[in-house]
Amino acid sequence: MPDFKEEIRKRLEGLGLSPAREAEIVEELSQHLDDQYKQALSHGATEEAAREDVLRELSQNDVLTTSLKRVERRVPQNPIQMGTERKTNMFADLSQDVRYGLRMLLKNPGFTTIAVLALALGIGANSAIFTVVNTLLLRPLPYKNPSQLVVIWENATHLGFPKNTPSAANFLDWQKQNTLFEGMAAFAERSFNLTGVGEPERLEGRRVSANLFDLLGVRPILGRNFVPDEDKPGTKVAVLSESLWRRRFGSDPGVIGRALALNGESFTVVGVLPNSVRLPSFGNWRDQIWVPLAFSAEDAASRGNHYLEVIGRMKPGVTLEQARAEMTTIMARLAQQYPEDNTRIGTVVNPLHEEIVGDMKPALLVLLGAVAFVLLIACANVANLLLARAAARHKEIALRLALGADRARLTKQLLVESVMLSLLGGAVGLAFAYGGLQVLTRFIPPDVAHAEGIAIDARVLGFTLLIAIVTGLIFGLAPASQASHFNLNDTLKEGGRDAGAGVRGKRLRSTLVIAEVAVSFILLIGAGLLINSFMHLRNLDPGFRADHMLTLNVDLSETKYPDNPKRTAFFDEVVRRIQALPGVRSVAVAGNLPFTYNGDSMPIGAEGIPDPPPDQRPDVIFRAIGPGYFSTMGIPLVGGRDFNDQDTLDTTLAVVVSEKTARHYWPNADPIGKRIRNGSTTSDAPWRTVIGVVKDVRQNDFIAEPKMQMYFAYRQLRSLMPNALIVRTAVDPLSLASSVRNAIWAVDKDQTVANIDSMEHIVAGAVARQRFSMLLLAIFAAVALVLAAVGIYGVMSYSVAQQTREIGIRMALGAQRSDVLKMTIKQGLKLVGLGLVIGLAVAFILTRVMATLLFGISATDPLTFITISFVLLVVAMLASYIPSVRAMRVDPMVALRYQ
Amino acid sequence: MASAILDRELKKGSAELLILSLVKDRPRHGYELGQLIEMRSRGALRFNVASLYPLLYRLEKRGWIRGRWVEKSGQRRRRYYRLTPAGGKILKAQREGWREFVEAISLITGIQHA
Repeated sequence: MPDFKEEIRKRLEGLGLSPAREAEIVEELSQHLDDQYKQALSHGATEEAAREDVLRELSQNDVLTTSLKRVERRVPQNPIQMGTERKTNMFADLSQDVRYGLRMLLKNPGFTTIAVLALALGIGANSAIFTVVNTLLLRPLPYKNPSQLVVIWENATHLGFPKNTPSAANFLDWQKQNTLFEGMAAFAERSFNLTGVGEPERLEGRRVSANLFDLLGVRPILGRNFVPDEDKPGTKVAVLSESLWRRRFGSDPGVIGRALALNGESFTVVGVLPNSVRLPSFGNWRDQIWVPLAFSAEDAASRGNHYLEVIGRMKPGVTLEQARAEMTTIMARLAQQYPEDNTRIGTVVNPLHEEIVGDMKPALLVLLGAVAFVLLIACANVANLLLARAAARHKEIALRLALGADRARLTKQLLVESVMLSLLGGAVGLAFAYGGLQVLTRFIPPDVAHAEGIAIDARVLGFTLLIAIVTGLIFGLAPASQASHFNLNDTLKEGGRDAGAGVRGKRLRSTLVIAEVAVSFILLIGAGLLINSFMHLRNLDPGFRADHMLTLNVDLSETKYPDNPKRTAFFDEVVRRIQALPGVRSVAVAGNLPFTYNGDSMPIGAEGIPDPPPDQRPDVIFRAIGPGYFSTMGIPLVGGRDFNDQDTLDTTLAVVVSEKTARHYWPNADPIGKRIRNGSTTSDAPWRTVIGVVKDVRQNDFIAEPKMQMYFAYRQLRSLMPNALIVRTAVDPLSLASSVRNAIWAVDKDQTVANIDSMEHIVAGAVARQRFSMLLLAIFAAVALVLAAVGIYGVMSYSVAQQTREIGIRMALGAQRSDVLKMTIKQGLKLVGLGLVIGLAVAFILTRVMATLLFGISATDPLTFITISFVLLVVAMLASYIPSVRAMRVDPMVALRYQ
Repeated sequence: MASAILDRELKKGSAELLILSLVKDRPRHGYELGQLIEMRSRGALRFNVASLYPLLYRLEKRGWIRGRWVEKSGQRRRRYYRLTPAGGKILKAQREGWREFVEAISLITGIQHA
């Protein structure tokens, strides 16, 4: 017999087989060929013909070599060592999983689209809110070592000012006596009339300590900062903001050294600061220009005049607690030295960052929590979709398990698939976030610092990537663990039966629905509380009529209008001209309009009433106004009379008080005719006679209760100047803006006119923050409600479809359609009810964190809780009603044949 | 003709079905498998040695069949292949699929069973 072994060996060369394997194959094949050879002989072939026959088959088209190459290529060349046989290549596995996942996603475009959209909604909302949080709360301030910067206030809580602006003398003492600060700087708001460069313009700006910008570590983009030497009266230098420099001076570098006319005086420009400089401020004050603080000798000695804001830089290594302790010690010493002004006055030291972003923090954190909930609901929905699909894929999974697939490997592969889904969702979500931010930023209250810097940056991208991956893992875990847990035997025995319909799958899906209902309930409660509280705010009476009113600032230059007669003449003429305009009902001179400025305040003494000790004298807010102010504002006069043209410096000095003031000083007597004076009964200020009592007016916002107020006739004041005009109109107030402005310029062409606005808009601005958080939370809650409804609907449809057979049997046995309807709706309501109860319990606890955002209602407002429960119940009922009706229409015959 | 069809069927993987079916009831060696296929198909299907063994090795690698050297007295030792449990499941699934396929084709082409 010929030896075929050598022939076979020749053909195995180059396959890289191990010697043992080669020997095995040679042995097996040679046997086969021997058998074949023998058979050929037995059929009568010659030895030569039989041999050729056998070899022809072996050599046919190189089939053996190529096929073996494919089969045997992974045979290790080196001897196998125990325990090292399974070589895992994570990246090879991963790329395989990714390709497989992609194929699965593409195979099912409908599923993929819905899942990606749901995830994009959830992830997009998170990215958008995180972008805002990132910019406003997380990004460090644009100053050198910003964590060392603190804001220092006087604490006069007992007088109603927990964070009072320090007086100059106190500030100077702090500056001298502290040991833990590198430096302290103060500043005060001041407006400037810029004239001589095109149209006159009113600029918002500040007087600042010369060391302020060096203390902050801000570098000018042009010129220089102030030098210490310039911080004294008579130095007329100014630093411009970048925006002013670009807008009014066309970015001309030659502006340095140029003289500007500010409030009628000449100032030399020494520097330009970048736009990033943003000092903490009350309201919508946007600095455009700075001049040195330059205390006069009188200012520097005053402890009763509170108007500064103070920033300090702690020395490296000094903690906030140490700084607070030192300030407390210093203030206690000052209280002993100057009891008249400083008794019971303390200090408040807060990080600058907290002061700038502080009051946005609770709202943003609540929103961040809300979007996390939205994402959770989206996750639950996608998990549900995946569960349903896992059921449809059970054959594939069973097969792979049957073929010996590693369960861990299978779980990993399913997870890769869900993470890919969520990454897709994240990418689309990022686009949603970008679009959403364009809208969102429009609703951010204008006084929020650094809001203009809100943009998607690397950190946001990282955040999005992270939540996308985590999201994918979360919603992929349930289906993956279910898939890898199911019992192979049962699945195979069940045959066509849906594996996901097993008890385990059903329980998982039910849990998800309960969770969805609970989470959307919490969100709806949050939104409901905010909406409710916003309504409360808007329904509060500000104390005046805000509709049909135009307001504008008219700051008179001290050099041009140095005394009362000149100012009176100007305002008389302006009022006369505006009054003559068509569409104008009435016009009045005003000072420090409500909702734009707190109003200045001081203690008073009432004749015949003993003065309380200095530290217990309440402050009364005062305003300088002209005749007709109350009727134009729509503030009701409850007693006495309004000011008139006869109230001048030559007649009895008059004062109008608010009801609250009247009640405080003369609770049981008619206040008309009573006399008061500034400071105390023993001060040297002149007595003023109460001629009228008006209703209380809210000061800055709807939240704080109105404080005591009084009004002076500006014509009876030597120093205090009115700075605004109010115009009651018969037409849209803003339509009169230009004619009113022209009427003023007809009197003085250099006079600045600023902040032309309708009172309605100003009042709306006072609730802008509340509106911002309310609007967003309402949007997120609506998204959550829709997602939850879709989720409930999906699960109910699925479970009804699973019961088609049961329903058919029941109906065949005589069950009425209403019975079937009742049965399926009951199932839905059971889940929803359970979700509601859990949501109720959690909401009861969670809404407490919102307490600071609420006004007029408690965080557990029963009305809100009941209404929201009802809304959710109705939506959930609808979501389970529709599939139930469909179940009811099932033809028993069809149902019985089903499956 | 027959070998062209066989080639195509090989690619489709139904050759696997043949092998699995044949080793279902008892272990068989390669030569025997080749003979059985040729005999039972009355010569219509024929594996040659160059394609049969790579196929066996592939099935073994997947864990569907398992080969073992067996020595019987007076004979050379031979490698016998038997069906593994995993292979049994595959066989069941493939038989089912094949039956459905044939039925479907029959329904369309109108070929009736005898």
